[in-house]
Amino acid sequence: QGLKPLVPTESPAPIFGTSKPPSVLPATEAFLGKNKVPDLQKVFQRSDGLPVHLKGGVPDRMLYRTTMALTIGGTIYCLVALYIASQPKNK
Amino acid sequence: MTHQAHSYHMVDPSPWPILGAAAALLTTSGLAMWFHYNSPYLLIMGLLSTALVMLQWWRDIVRESTFQGHHTPTVQKGLRYGMVLFITSEAFFFLGFFWAFFHSSLAPTPELGGQWPPTGIQPLDPMDVPLLNTAILLASGVTVTWAHHSIMEANRKQAIHALTLTVLLGFYFTALQAMEYYEAPFSISDGVYGSTFFVSTGFHGLHVIIGSTFLLVCLLRLIKYHFTPNHHFGFEAAAWYWHFVDVVWLFLYVTIYWWGS
Repeated sequence: QGLKPLVPTESPAPIFGTSKPPSVLPATEAFLGKNKVPDLQKVFQRSDGLPVHLKGGVPDRMLYRTTMALTIGGTIYCLVALYIASQPKNK
Repeated sequence: MTHQAHSYHMVDPSPWPILGAAAALLTTSGLAMWFHYNSPYLLIMGLLSTALVMLQWWRDIVRESTFQGHHTPTVQKGLRYGMVLFITSEAFFFLGFFWAFFHSSLAPTPELGGQWPPTGIQPLDPMDVPLLNTAILLASGVTVTWAHHSIMEANRKQAIHALTLTVLLGFYFTALQAMEYYEAPFSISDGVYGSTFFVSTGFHGLHVIIGSTFLLVCLLRLIKYHFTPNHHFGFEAAAWYWHFVDVVWLFLYVTIYWWGS
């Protein structure tokens, strides 16, 4: 009572609420990349009649053809090798 | 456009089953060509085609589930049964090798010096690296459980941290075992001790590598937002497999490393 405050009671200019709102800060938005699952769901649910193993387009076709070539070629090589291996050793 | 009146998944026609069978043919005949004719080409083709088939088949399953929504609760139940049956079959696989170990070690023959470990064998100290490996796998069991709870609580950052730790612990185990294999004073051809030791721990090590790879794939899927707090069976399957690998190690440690030394 009667004491004059040495510290002004009026608070200084607000420093809160002057930084960027959270939605603009990239760090809190996505940790290690953003969610692309909805986009991929759209891609793989297209009614293009393609089976799931080819539905990704060109990369799928390339991988499929490589696997097919390796496997079919390998099977032929295998049959040849087994034929040769089954020949008796001539003294 | 017809719609199904049931909750099962009728898959699209796929080349992977038959190509996988062909890859198995190339791998097995390739092994024979390598062992008997010193020619590794067929084996390399076999291993490569096996890897390609596995990659594409599992990629397609991720597409069918996460992107196309075919994994209803009914389908998931079937997958759970499948994983349980598979792990059970693996348990029986290891049971065989434990049987072989006890057959030879419970009644050591005169050829072994009538003792176990056999005369001349210096077993590894179970309190050295094997004990560290035990701690590593037990810790990884804790971290994978932590990751599971984080996924169920939708805590992305903690889930990624915990699963990353799990994978790193798995690789650490493998690296330490590789070093142990290199430094061991006995080899696989050192009688029945060497055979039982390296075949049992060797197959276990292979399963650690498989489990670590499965967990690594789950980590990548987790980062790409594939899992939801209620639906993440791929992760659960990997965690079950990982706990199985841990339990097999505990049996190996207690019987072969500790009792057998």
